[in-house]
Amino acid sequence: MNNASLNSFKKRTYFVLFIFFGLLVLLIGRFFYLQIIKGPELRDQREQNINASELIYPKRGRIISKDGTVLAEDIKTFSIVVDLEQKPDYESMYLLSEIFSEDLLFDDIEKKVLSSLRFSFQETLLTNLSQEDLSKFLVRSSDLSGFSIKEDYKRNYDYHPSIFHILGHLGFINELDSKYFSERIPDYDENIWQKVGKSGLERVYEYKLRGTHGKRYFQRNARGNRKQITGVDNFKEGEELITSIRYSAQKLAFDLLDGKQGAVVAIDLSDFSIPVAVSVPSISANDLSGISSKNYAELLNDVQRPLFNRAFMGLYPPGSTVKPLLTIFSLSEGYTNWTETILDDGFFRFEEEQRVFNAWKEGGHGLTDLEKALVESSNPFFMNLATKFDKAKFVKFMQSASFGSLLCTDCYPHQYSPLINDSWKQKNFGKDLYKGDFINLGVGQGYMLTTPLHLALLTSAIAKKGKYQIPYIVNGSNQQELFLENNLTDYDWEKLHESLINVVYSPNGTGFRINAGNLKMAGKSGTSQIIDIKSKEEYDEVRQNPLLRDHAIFIGFAPYDDPQFAIAVIIENGESGGSVAGPIAKEVLELLIDAN
Amino acid sequence: MQINLTHSVILFSLVGIILAGSMTIFSVTSIDLNYFFRFLMITLISICFVATIFYLININRILSAGWIILVANILLVMSVEIFGQEINGSRRWLDFGFLSLQPSEFMKISYAIFTIQYLRFYSFKFSMFRSIFLLGVLFLTAVPIIIQPDLGTGVVYIAFGVLLLFICGMDKKYFYGLFISLVVMSPVLYNFVLTGYQKGRIINWFSSEGSVSERWNILQSEISIGSGQLFGEGFLASKQNEFNFLPEADTDFIFSIYAEQFGFVGVLAIFILLALFLLLTLRVLLRHNSLSNDLSPYYLGTYFIYVIGFSFLINILMVSGLIPVVGLPLPFFTKGGSSLLCFSIMLGFIFSARGFLRV
Repeated sequence: MNNASLNSFKKRTYFVLFIFFGLLVLLIGRFFYLQIIKGPELRDQREQNINASELIYPKRGRIISKDGTVLAEDIKTFSIVVDLEQKPDYESMYLLSEIFSEDLLFDDIEKKVLSSLRFSFQETLLTNLSQEDLSKFLVRSSDLSGFSIKEDYKRNYDYHPSIFHILGHLGFINELDSKYFSERIPDYDENIWQKVGKSGLERVYEYKLRGTHGKRYFQRNARGNRKQITGVDNFKEGEELITSIRYSAQKLAFDLLDGKQGAVVAIDLSDFSIPVAVSVPSISANDLSGISSKNYAELLNDVQRPLFNRAFMGLYPPGSTVKPLLTIFSLSEGYTNWTETILDDGFFRFEEEQRVFNAWKEGGHGLTDLEKALVESSNPFFMNLATKFDKAKFVKFMQSASFGSLLCTDCYPHQYSPLINDSWKQKNFGKDLYKGDFINLGVGQGYMLTTPLHLALLTSAIAKKGKYQIPYIVNGSNQQELFLENNLTDYDWEKLHESLINVVYSPNGTGFRINAGNLKMAGKSGTSQIIDIKSKEEYDEVRQNPLLRDHAIFIGFAPYDDPQFAIAVIIENGESGGSVAGPIAKEVLELLIDAN
Repeated sequence: MQINLTHSVILFSLVGIILAGSMTIFSVTSIDLNYFFRFLMITLISICFVATIFYLININRILSAGWIILVANILLVMSVEIFGQEINGSRRWLDFGFLSLQPSEFMKISYAIFTIQYLRFYSFKFSMFRSIFLLGVLFLTAVPIIIQPDLGTGVVYIAFGVLLLFICGMDKKYFYGLFISLVVMSPVLYNFVLTGYQKGRIINWFSSEGSVSERWNILQSEISIGSGQLFGEGFLASKQNEFNFLPEADTDFIFSIYAEQFGFVGVLAIFILLALFLLLTLRVLLRHNSLSNDLSPYYLGTYFIYVIGFSFLINILMVSGLIPVVGLPLPFFTKGGSSLLCFSIMLGFIFSARGFLRV
């Protein structure tokens, strides 16, 4: 062995050793970087990969009518799903397709199983199992490995269509919903709740009804299979809502209006809760869940607008039913009294503009005082009165009657009745109000529009001699006492009530044909014109088209000596307030008072 | 035979590495403690047994059968094509019932025995013909491995063969030539030799644009290593393993599980044991007064020490994301008979170098 080759051997060995230690130092640096510098971050990433959670949805609260009917509740549903923990084998897939041969094809099962396993997503094979199907599955469940039953909740509403508009419905959350709820619900998380209240009580009381979600924490492996549950945040079930709805009266009101278009709203005068709020036509609330977009579009485009809540949203000219309200204003401002008379010859001549307004009764009512004007519904009397109105005082009075402001604490959606003032007219017509406008306003026509809910509320205020509160369906706490602005004496109120009683009980009264019997109902009928008509002949022509016929309106309260309920009934194109809308008001009030 | 401090430290480092390997294998594959002791015993006994056999057999006898061993090994590699089991899309294993062997693993040893025997005949003097002949044999014998297909093992086999020739004193110009031709040929190799899967691994290493599944293994490996932080999660506490996030945790990626359990401290400990083992065995082997006239055992011993050392480094470079993933076992960690047997034989050669156990 010569020294030269030995030296070369050693030199090369050391050279390799040098490379070795170079790489070792590189590795030490790498591990220092991974374990010390990036260690916490990488450990976090590992924990995120392993730890997962799922939400537990509580049972949504029930909604119950005042007379104890469950209007809405969550019911348990069962579905067959692919069990990701155990892979379904072909035998159990085949067996499943045999057991449910009517609903499931083997190919579809196979497709869903494969996609479940590929994406680690639990596919649902069959939903809303009947009890019979459920037991069919459970009997064979030991042979159906890879499939399991998943429990869920489904919202179920009482079938009767009268309740749909009150309850509203649930639907998948959209941007508008999340905006609505985040403004109202503290710490609202739009990602948690998939289905939310879209309208009605379901929307207003979303926070109470839905409860508080729970969370189940678990660890899963790389394939997404659950290994163990590590913790559970308990959920809280949704609260129950007791509504003020008297379901028997609600259903009656709906059934009486069925086939027509219109609305009935009643208010309980003891607490200003709403026992009846009906909008016709309507649908059964269950029909909206799982509706196809085609059918939904059909409902939206239906000319009868069944989804539109006329009771809270429909704006109608109040017609003659506004006369009691204007009586209060006129007496307060001294525009008239119970003794002043005018000659009603069936026309009102507005001298300033040389215009003539027709009244509904040919030949007129003759010599007419305020009481007669109310009982027989004289238009010229109130048109004459309206010419005396002071614009500012009128607006202020209408404001005190909640025109242009909130009409219900928890009706969703509901519409304000517009406050007719100069700025309103400027906005809509670019002009200020002038005297001629008041002539129409004086008989509840022209620009004046109210919702059925507002009419019922105004009737309540009249029944309670000017006092009222904002109505509600569920929550009436912290209600403020409101007043119609007036300085009426007890005598004035008695005369007003007496006039309204005579509307119903005097043979001259426009509501005499209601035949109110011993209900002790006071009221006022009205017809509201849809188009401006100059003469009776012209109307006869117009009424050939049912959609242009006058709306029939009736407001009333009972019993007149101790008012318990007020009511407003509107029947679109019903023509006669007294004889068409009035009897419905009577029947509903009767039932409400009987049930009290 | 005398045992001194150096020998004790070598033994200590080796046992340390084997113990760490067995513990990690145990934590990945089983939770039964009996299994752990059995596994440790089997590993230690087989290493002692094989190393002792190779220590006792006259090394000259083995060397003189050099070409027979190489040819036999090549034939075994090729027979895998016919008799082998297919695992993960490539045939590498021969099943002997009680253990399955990967003949390509042994090519590193066979080629070394052949080369040393050949060069010894010429007193380790390289000529141009001998250099080209030995390189030719190296590349030709790599072909059956690469077409299995097992590019990783093939490339590593060639790299170790080149290392052997370097240690044995082949002229430097051949290494320059190899390096230049590799650079020139790399685009051709990339386009015509590599399969999509292999390209994927390389692309994946150079950029983070590889597909999710290509990134997955290395990402999970880095997560395992990083999760260990300074002191590790503790023995048997690898969550990456428990929740199956790290594929091939018992073979190629076992060191990541080790790093998760024992942290940076544990990794440093392994590095120190490895460095101690490498430095001290080399020191003993190359001690001037122990070198005899026949250099063969020293060339072989040095070569095998480096094979063990660099196998360690390459595997760890791979699992820590510094080089593309090539299927290379981690000595004394990776579960598998071939790797254990292979490294035991190398230890036998190292310890049997004359004078190793003599002072």
